[in-house]
Amino acid sequence: MRYLCCWLLTASALVTGVASAQVDFTGEWSPLYHEDAADRIPGPEIGDYTALPLNDAARARGDTFQADRLSMVMQYQCRPHSADYALRGMGNMRVNKEMEPLHEKLTAFKTYMPAWGSERTIWLDGRPHPPEYAEHTFQGFSTGVWDGNQLTITTTHLKANYHRRNEVPSSDKRTLVEHWARHGDFLTVITWVDDPVYFTEPVVRSQSWYLDPSQQVPQAYCEYVTELPPVTADSIPHYLPGTNPNLTEMAGWYGLPHEVLRGGAEKMLPEYRKKIPKPETAPPAMCERMCNCSDFGTCR
Amino acid sequence: MNARRMLLAVVCSALPLVGFAQGRFGPPPPPAGPPKTAREAAPVDLTGTWVSIVSEDWRWRMLTPTRGDFQSIPLNAEGKKVGLAWDATRDETLGLQCKSFGAPALLRIPGRVRISWQDDQTLKIETDAGMQTRLLRFNAPPTTTEDKSWQGYSVANWERQLRGHGAGESFALFSGAIGRGGRSLEVTTTNLREGYYRRNGPPYSADAKVEEYFDYHKEPNGDEWFTVTTVVTDPKYLTGVFVTSTDFKKQKSAAGWDPTPCTSR
Repeated sequence: MRYLCCWLLTASALVTGVASAQVDFTGEWSPLYHEDAADRIPGPEIGDYTALPLNDAARARGDTFQADRLSMVMQYQCRPHSADYALRGMGNMRVNKEMEPLHEKLTAFKTYMPAWGSERTIWLDGRPHPPEYAEHTFQGFSTGVWDGNQLTITTTHLKANYHRRNEVPSSDKRTLVEHWARHGDFLTVITWVDDPVYFTEPVVRSQSWYLDPSQQVPQAYCEYVTELPPVTADSIPHYLPGTNPNLTEMAGWYGLPHEVLRGGAEKMLPEYRKKIPKPETAPPAMCERMCNCSDFGTCR
Repeated sequence: MNARRMLLAVVCSALPLVGFAQGRFGPPPPPAGPPKTAREAAPVDLTGTWVSIVSEDWRWRMLTPTRGDFQSIPLNAEGKKVGLAWDATRDETLGLQCKSFGAPALLRIPGRVRISWQDDQTLKIETDAGMQTRLLRFNAPPTTTEDKSWQGYSVANWERQLRGHGAGESFALFSGAIGRGGRSLEVTTTNLREGYYRRNGPPYSADAKVEEYFDYHKEPNGDEWFTVTTVVTDPKYLTGVFVTSTDFKKQKSAAGWDPTPCTSR
């Protein structure tokens, strides 16, 4: 009888302490590219730094970008999208639950995105983040807590990568906070990214998916191929400061003042509209580039 | 058999059932007082002055896009055709400068919004850009006989508590209703005048329906934000739904509030 009582006490304590999910985020989620579609699908124009609170160090890095480096340097090929960029860039997403079988306790959500097979774990079991010296990875280390029906996720230990695919750099010091909110068959993921190395202030953005049970996330792979012969064995294509001819192309194509493309927090405020200078080149009378880009079939 | 031990075992095993039984099989809750007003029931405080930080769609929001630049909007062929016929001068002549300041587009325009309770059942959103006012009515009928307007007719509710069935935090051998309080403000808007999503003329029709979800979030640096997810349904001009999400940061004061009339350019 003594053992029976102990067992009942233990069982009671275990089952009553189980934390349960407030909202089920599992399933196949298809992204909606109804914001910045061309930036996210075919990719950003070189030198487009708008809508990011960049500092001069980030601009200096971005200005060196020469796209040939992707064709010649193995280290730049097949880089997975980091946890933060993946949510903004291209990404169908599958979300699974990981359950602790003995007590049916939800311990984690696992996400899979097809950009180079990015798998990510969002721990919900209260474990702490590892010490700062632990390994930094493309997906980082993520933990989530519930706030009502909203799941707030904090990610640290991210590896240096990019905030935008035109080589706006991101540092390994950055922190990502997400808020997941499900509204029927729509999922909104709000991201707060603090990058003290390349941002003057954190940036908040938000992305939308819809539940698509018929979605088949494709197999993802990437093959390393040297498409151009390197000039020397250790050369990395780049431009020195002030020599990148591609930085002015976008302003000409769209008739935009070059200054606005340099980005920065002050240009993200509504009052900046009154300070926008006149463009160096008059805008075209009719849109000529990416005019109807809103999904994979319409961006050309 | 020790009777006291037996009693202890029974009590121990029954403890988790107490709270559970109160939820599903217990007696109905005692009669409550009068139902809470929308203001009293608010799970989050959205009142105050908020500024849109333009971290998305910068070119299309901060500048008037070029004719025919409909990037990111899933317009169908008819929508593109109507959009290409955009004529700002004609709109000005006809007094239609507010065509791009209607409810489907208003919160996408860079500016500040002031949110306050007009009364216990009506949340008011005022914008400095275009000097528009939206009224979000709680516990209101789903339709109206009012004339169509730029801001239409908006019915609001706080996100209902999800009541899934499962063990939750109750005894695992049984199933019961679980769930936590919702945090979102949900708004459905109809009865709109036809207008534009952006100032260069991509159209929505008078039959468009707008569903919005306002999500409050507080960040590690103490900043308070809300993000509004806007879902527009308009088969006349769209190939499917048009979904955007727009981010606003709370201000400590009304600094920067700059009432500016609608403009077609």
